[in-house]
Amino acid sequence: MSGTYRLALQQLCDSALPTGAFAHSLGFETYIERGLIHDETSFGTWLSAFVGQQLTYSEGLAIRFLYEGVDVGELDEHLSAQLLPRQVREASTKMGGRLLEIGAEVFPSAELEAYRALVTTGRAAGHQPLAFAVVARSLGVPVEEALAAYLFATVTSLTQNAVRAIPLGQNSGQRLLRKAHDDVAAAAEQVQRLGWDDLGAVSPGLEISQMRHEWQRARMFMS
Amino acid sequence: MSAPANATATSAQALDPLAGAAFGASPDIEGRARFAVPATPRPSISGSAAAVVSPRGELSLRVAKRAGRSVAVQQFHQGALRVLRPHYLDESGQVCYVMVNPGGAYLGADLYVVDVEVEAGASLLLTTQSATKIYRTPAFHAEQRMTIRLGEGAELELAPDQLIAYREASYRQDTRITVSPTSSFVMAEVITPGWSPDGASFKYRELRLRNEIRVEGDDGAALLALDNLLIRPPQSDVTGLGFMEGYSHLGSLVVVDPRVDQALADELRQLTAGYDAYTGLSLTRTLAGTTGLVLRSLSNSTEELNRLLGACTGLVRGRWYGRAPLNLRKY
Repeated sequence: MSGTYRLALQQLCDSALPTGAFAHSLGFETYIERGLIHDETSFGTWLSAFVGQQLTYSEGLAIRFLYEGVDVGELDEHLSAQLLPRQVREASTKMGGRLLEIGAEVFPSAELEAYRALVTTGRAAGHQPLAFAVVARSLGVPVEEALAAYLFATVTSLTQNAVRAIPLGQNSGQRLLRKAHDDVAAAAEQVQRLGWDDLGAVSPGLEISQMRHEWQRARMFMS
Repeated sequence: MSAPANATATSAQALDPLAGAAFGASPDIEGRARFAVPATPRPSISGSAAAVVSPRGELSLRVAKRAGRSVAVQQFHQGALRVLRPHYLDESGQVCYVMVNPGGAYLGADLYVVDVEVEAGASLLLTTQSATKIYRTPAFHAEQRMTIRLGEGAELELAPDQLIAYREASYRQDTRITVSPTSSFVMAEVITPGWSPDGASFKYRELRLRNEIRVEGDDGAALLALDNLLIRPPQSDVTGLGFMEGYSHLGSLVVVDPRVDQALADELRQLTAGYDAYTGLSLTRTLAGTTGLVLRSLSNSTEELNRLLGACTGLVRGRWYGRAPLNLRKY
């Protein structure tokens, strides 16, 4: 049976999956505005911090807890409470909502229906990492693979957005992605070492920049 | 592969001399077992099994409104924690209590437990006498666990002095706040880069400050905000882009009140622009008619952050209660 989920996982993580990820910088646009992100190296520094912080302590850890059987409603509530920057919280539920719809179309399962029911009745917000984890788990994807795939898919869409916004050359984008392999692997490992109290411990610098994006006048991205 | 959650939880608790007290699974007299941490593991940061059983300091305070003034109707302290005689800073009836740690510092494996309840309509300002200093904690971290409960229309302003972690210090501060939809809660705090003999910054091992804010509703207390901060200087560079952004001090402000809205957020944003600090703020979701506002600010001095936070709480104090900005004149 092993490996039957491969193509499904690839479809789920394809950057062409229409969740609207192209519309979100998750805070890096604030650094562009401040002149702190302006080339391949400076974006790489931010990306590395984002993977080690937000993707590890929030999204990655939520995925692991879901796999370990923590109630999806409880995790959903914790993400809504922990994602303090409003735009990032809304990005998570916007993309999560799309992922729930797409999942229901192409990878239906009882677990996914249960989560969708919580969302449609207002008892959950529908966060992207949880929608992804519910689908991946129902497809039989092992947690390590799901984590790495989710983290790298997020890194890919953020890098594509940076290539457009900074702008960077396409090869530059590919070098960034290659360099992100190590960060993604380290993050997936770190997620396994964390505990309940670590959920949502994202660095203040990233959060402040995500919050300040609300105030930015001219912007390409919704977050 | 990870170990099953239950097995990990058991071993983590066995290693954690502070586990089980205050937030353990057994219900206390008020039946607060709902705060019990889920079965998922809380990893121990140290393999040492120091034999701490009872808290080093305990403080419990219940404030209620009597004849137009807020007064303590129940007060208990034990060990290295107590409060000074209450005073009234203005004519509003708000009572001010100052928490004192006579030892002056938190040491390894010290556990401090604080329980505060502000009953319906009462108002409390809770502060500290001096900075919270965490000294070297060679074997096990120091910890403060605080439980706060606000009744209908109750007000709490929590304004501790800054936190200073010395070289090789590990500290956890776990605060569980439960408000009613009509309560008013304001909390401001400043974290310094710590202190070491050679003057270098960020020489402490770990600071973990976690605030969980719940709103009492028809079906239990729903989570409004989880404000979780973890700084571990030895594990990675915390000073640069994406973490402290080149700044040394961190200030934070949390406001939960039914009157919190985007207009207030915009006003505070304009107010903070006048300070030498990198500040962001955002609204939480709205639950049962109440909303939270979380502000984070990075700067290079405690004084600048205190001025910024003081301006923000001053605006709220004036607007909502007709009170003057806070001036505790402690020094």
